[in-house]
Amino acid sequence: MMNYLKMAFRNLGRNRRRTVLSALALSIGLALILFIAAFYEGEVRSSMESTLRLDSGHIQIRGADYDPDKLSVAWEYLIENPEQVAAQVEALDQVQVATPRLIASGIVAVRDESSGVQIMGVDPASSANDPYREGMISGNFPTADDREGILIGLPLAENLGLEVGDQLNLLVNTSNGTVDEQLFTVRGIFTTGVTIYDKGTVFLPLAKAQAFSGAENRASFIFILLKDREQTDSVAAALQSPNYQVKTWTELNEILVFLEDFSNAYLFILNLIVMGVTATVIVNTLVMAVFERTREIGILTAIGMKGRQIIALFLVEAGVLALIGLAFGLLLGWGFSAYFGKFGIYFGDLGISGMLLEDRIYTYLTLEDTINLTIFSFIITILASLYPARLASRMEPVEALHGSN
Amino acid sequence: MSTIIKIAWRNVWRQRRRTLLIAAAMGFIMALLVLFDGVIAGFEQSIYGNAIQLLGGNIQVHAPGYSEKTGQNPLLPLANPDGVVQVAESNPNTVVAAKRIVTGGLVTNREGAFSVSIIGVETDKESIISPVAANISSGRYLNPDDGDLIVIGQGLATAMDITVGDRITMAGGALHAQTRQRTMTVVGIFDVGVPTVEKNTIYMSLTEAQSLFGLDGQVTEVVVSMEQIGQEPPVVTRINKEMPGYEVETWVNSMPELKKTMDMKLSTMSVFGVILMGVAAIGILNLLMMAVFERTREIGVIGALGLKPREITLLFLLEGILIGVMGAVLGTVLGLALTGMLGIVGLDYSQFADLTEYTALITGKIYPEFLPLKVLNHAITLAVIAALAALYPAREAARREPAEALHYV
Repeated sequence: MMNYLKMAFRNLGRNRRRTVLSALALSIGLALILFIAAFYEGEVRSSMESTLRLDSGHIQIRGADYDPDKLSVAWEYLIENPEQVAAQVEALDQVQVATPRLIASGIVAVRDESSGVQIMGVDPASSANDPYREGMISGNFPTADDREGILIGLPLAENLGLEVGDQLNLLVNTSNGTVDEQLFTVRGIFTTGVTIYDKGTVFLPLAKAQAFSGAENRASFIFILLKDREQTDSVAAALQSPNYQVKTWTELNEILVFLEDFSNAYLFILNLIVMGVTATVIVNTLVMAVFERTREIGILTAIGMKGRQIIALFLVEAGVLALIGLAFGLLLGWGFSAYFGKFGIYFGDLGISGMLLEDRIYTYLTLEDTINLTIFSFIITILASLYPARLASRMEPVEALHGSN
Repeated sequence: MSTIIKIAWRNVWRQRRRTLLIAAAMGFIMALLVLFDGVIAGFEQSIYGNAIQLLGGNIQVHAPGYSEKTGQNPLLPLANPDGVVQVAESNPNTVVAAKRIVTGGLVTNREGAFSVSIIGVETDKESIISPVAANISSGRYLNPDDGDLIVIGQGLATAMDITVGDRITMAGGALHAQTRQRTMTVVGIFDVGVPTVEKNTIYMSLTEAQSLFGLDGQVTEVVVSMEQIGQEPPVVTRINKEMPGYEVETWVNSMPELKKTMDMKLSTMSVFGVILMGVAAIGILNLLMMAVFERTREIGVIGALGLKPREITLLFLLEGILIGVMGAVLGTVLGLALTGMLGIVGLDYSQFADLTEYTALITGKIYPEFLPLKVLNHAITLAVIAALAALYPAREAARREPAEALHYV
């Protein structure tokens, strides 16, 4: 084995340019698939992160019979004394913030136009509202004791021609199954960069939302953000209680989790193609090298090297080449991913306006991806070198000796 | 010059095995590049194509003044919609052009009131293309002569706690700002996996919508569906030319955020494509350089015979171009065949991941697309790389003293 390695090194060193170029092709191939993986992982993470902050939180505590599709505010579905429950949760060490929220379905109407929305009653003082606060375009967040103020999203404001100070009619489905309506004044307009969310959500102070919908001192759920997402399961276990359902972010975001699976399948196909190109480059370089070295192979067989041994020699050569290429590729891929993970890839020049959270994608390279893809590339390279190695081993010594190069 | 071309051609075929090997490698690599682009375009198509169908179609034609109305979906009848349909359907890439009535309204029952978009559709035409028709989870889709029957989304059905056969009250603004109210029976429920659409859209037959909103024989919109995203411009031009005076919009204008997302994705992927091209370029460079350096002794011979360095360089450049062109042609044919085949069969990627559920927007198969312009681009780039790759070693060799080159082993 030691001998093979020595010979392989010598052979690779003898034609340095070819070795360097083949290794470089492999390096760039590996760096490319690592970077693509990091790009997608970063994208999934950033959309996951914004969904968690905007919408679902890390954990939600809901009433035992609450059905989120219905947005019902009937009393039997809601949590009583939510402030108290939230305070208890917030007392836990791992919890960053816990705040009650009330969601009801309603309709915003201005003149002849109407649009269906979900009405979100929030505690204006809570830091959980920071994503909306940071996204304020004009006006202010309504204060806790505001009885007529409302916060609406930018696309909704544009559709209905509303500005800060304008009035709108809000219709709400109440706790006892009837419909109530009231005039509200737009206090502020926000954008989160997620159009669907901004179009369909309006905010009221919790106290007003409770009074308006007839929920009184009840909330739809307790919204919980943790200091560290990895602790979700242990905190959720600690919060279990027969009176409530405790939902974690993985359960709350099934579609996002599904999308992650989906993009993995997509990436697998792209990786196969990239590696296909790299493998073709390597196969051909090696095949050419075998032809070029016909006479050398002839001499090796003439002095008694067996076919099997020649295959081994070529495979060791390919292996060494692969290791050099992959090491450099790892460095390259890791470097690029780290750079763009720090500074982000900016998409602002594509004319995306009002994107608060998604104007940059921060690449994120996981250890798992790195290991899997590197091993994958190594295996492909070795498989690719099998054919040229067999080609070399099958040459007749006498013919090979006479072979014009 | 013609002698040099002749020699180059002979040289290329003298080393048949090497030539074929290089050309085959180039062809295969190029086929993979074409496939890479095709798979990406196919994925975009499979995701965004359905989203566009669901959210309003590739092209919408409205009556003049439609966009000036601040509100969503004003009831503004369209003159001569059948003429527009005819013009749109005369394009070979048009799948269907259908008339619609689109307006806003409310549905109410004991669970509360919900704001919805009401869409009256030509059911026989829409059942061909509509993701809604293809994703009815219970009940059935609409028939052309359905009276007071509607199809609603799963999201709305859950929120209102109703199933097929239940009746709900629907109110919509008719012409002249009157409000029309009618009790409708739910005949089908669709489930497309997109909560906003499921919660906000209800469908009824066009004739029913016409009688409900006082638009006898009239419609407010013509929706044109294309086979693929990007085929809209000729249809738009044609409608504007032959039937001026309408507001013709494509999804690019009506759904700018979708366009942005798609552009963003595509620009990233094309960067990946360029890097992949770089990998291919290194490979080809390597192959051709090997092929030419191997022939240093031969270069010495022709140098000794009196060929000038410039002519030697030209000879090898020509050989590089010939091989490059062969590879490019082979690559185009291979790429066409590979993409074409997968375009018919479809690439089933569901086996690569445990995708347990599908939304209607994402199907388990993608159909790679063939992009002629990109293929041409790849072909030219590869041929140029091949020529350049031959140029460098040929110049090196041509500059050597013939006697020295002759001794090169």
